[in-house]
Amino acid sequence: MAILELNQVKKSFGTGHKKVEALKETNFQANKGELVAVIGPSGSGKSTFLTIAGGLQTPSSGDIIINNQNLTALNEKKRSKIRLKEIGFILQSSNLIPFLTVDMQMKLLDKVKKGNMTKEELEQLYEDLGIGDLRSKYPVDLSGGERQRAAIAKALYSNPSIILADEPTASLDSDRAYEVMELLKSETKNKNTTTIVVTHDIRLIGYCDKVYNMTDGVLTLEKEKQAVE
Amino acid sequence: MFLAWNEIKKNKLRFTLITGVLMLVSYLVFFLSGLATGLESLNRESVDKWEATAIILTEESDKSLPQSSMTLDELNGVDAKESAVIGQINAIAANGDQKNNVSIFGIEKDEFIMPNVTEGKEFSNTNEVIASDSLKEDGFKLGDNLQLSSTEERLTIVGFTDEARFNGAPVLYGDLSTFHRVKYGEAAELNADQINGIVVRTDGLSSITQNDALEVSEIETFIRNLPGYTEQNLTLNFMIYFLFAISSVIVAIFLYVLTVQKISMFGVMKAQGISNRYLSQSVIAQTFILAAIGVTVGFVLTLISGAFLPSAVPVSFDLATMILYGLILIIVAILGAVFSVLTIVKIDPLKAIGG
Ligand SMILES: Nc1ncnc2c1ncn2[C@@H]1O[C@H](COP(=O)(O)OP(=O)(O)O)[C@@H](O)[C@H]1O
Ligand SMILES: [Mg+2]
Repeated sequence: MAILELNQVKKSFGTGHKKVEALKETNFQANKGELVAVIGPSGSGKSTFLTIAGGLQTPSSGDIIINNQNLTALNEKKRSKIRLKEIGFILQSSNLIPFLTVDMQMKLLDKVKKGNMTKEELEQLYEDLGIGDLRSKYPVDLSGGERQRAAIAKALYSNPSIILADEPTASLDSDRAYEVMELLKSETKNKNTTTIVVTHDIRLIGYCDKVYNMTDGVLTLEKEKQAVE
Repeated sequence: MFLAWNEIKKNKLRFTLITGVLMLVSYLVFFLSGLATGLESLNRESVDKWEATAIILTEESDKSLPQSSMTLDELNGVDAKESAVIGQINAIAANGDQKNNVSIFGIEKDEFIMPNVTEGKEFSNTNEVIASDSLKEDGFKLGDNLQLSSTEERLTIVGFTDEARFNGAPVLYGDLSTFHRVKYGEAAELNADQINGIVVRTDGLSSITQNDALEVSEIETFIRNLPGYTEQNLTLNFMIYFLFAISSVIVAIFLYVLTVQKISMFGVMKAQGISNRYLSQSVIAQTFILAAIGVTVGFVLTLISGAFLPSAVPVSFDLATMILYGLILIIVAILGAVFSVLTIVKIDPLKAIGG
């Protein structure tokens, strides 16, 4: 069942001869329980695709449908609400608040929305991510990998239906990168959510159910799990 | 409050500094307001004590009591519920050890501007006076025989009264003949009907007198025209208003710098879907916490240091004014946070993703 749909989505920047078509006409669907990779060279339009899919910017034309809601018709305030409810972003650089401990990062979400993980689920998540001992530490006291795992915990804590990760492993060494992918995979399967990982690291695609390629704003399906196995 | 308070706890030094600055500014504001109130009473407390509606002076005197001169006959043309005549002259009084500026009021004992006696007794003979109790702090006491500048007459303090300062000088209340002797010396008899003005209590001002040579001034107008009074108030109030503006600007700059440093953090939160409203409220809450702490500490410090000031410093704290100014300080600080709120609202969450 499609939880995220892009229908005839286009995005261009600028006008006239300076016009850049960052995303050519794109049709895309992601289903529950799927871990999807989007690979492609720098500047090919991966981030543009991901941010449009997550309602962070509006397309020049076309529709984005998240959980049966058409984002294109909504203003930023309403899109912001949908992001809060449906989407967990994991960013290239850690998206932690510097003056909050790991635990408080989660508490902040409790302040702004309902339906987050229970105490027990959070314990389990900490354990799965191996950050249980770090809960009262501030981001500055964590290593790069620990921070990235805390950021993943934060993205998952709100029980989003879609996780969008933009180069989540860019600042990690290979071992850490594999670890993070393993976690994303198990979360996606266990919680029946949808995860889209944008990366230019082709070593990570083995974890994914579907692999798309982005070249010059054109998104093409490269591999499906059956083909990989 | 959650974000606001946790950020303050984590960055104690930074927030202590800004609270300290707000504290100093509010200390200065409270102190200046105390000085303004103190200087005001120094000028007007004796006049306020009359609880009068208006004062009648000559037109030519331009609302100046010492410059006004009329005779007791003018009282006949005055139509008011209550009236009281007053003669006034400034002098330097010395009791042998101490010298002090004084303002001598010649009055009729049975009229309403006769002061209460807090110590000693009322004057009953010529050259007996009731003195302002502020003179006690300067070393004057009951029974003192006062030598005056510019006359051979000597006055005796037979009583004290409170709240009796006029235009910066303690008042000596005596009867009209005392006043005439001080003012005219040998010629006192000849000038026995001379007074400076008539103080009235009544309802309407328009019908008090028909005499064109006389001018009726409301008490507040009269006070505003006391030499230096308005200028002093304007100066101090200007400083206070300026401090309000300064504290607003300080808070604005401080918060703006902090906000700019945190743009990517706000962007991340907005990308996550946290509303502008929540983030703005958090900045406002933070400003409120900082300003409230700063102003409260400033308030307490003002009261503490006020208690240790020598009585010569004309500071008197009016709690209602101080609370009002404290609230204004908190409000202008919050206005200073508006810049930061606007900045936050304008942050594009997309930029924070750093695509
Ligand atoms: N806000 C923008 N304004 C103008 N051009 C942009 C903007 N965002 C992206 N682009 C352009 O769109 C293309 C795709 O960018 P992006 O999606 O960031 O690629 P990737 O994430 O694959 O590196 C690039 O040519 C980039 O310069
Ligand atoms: Mg990118």
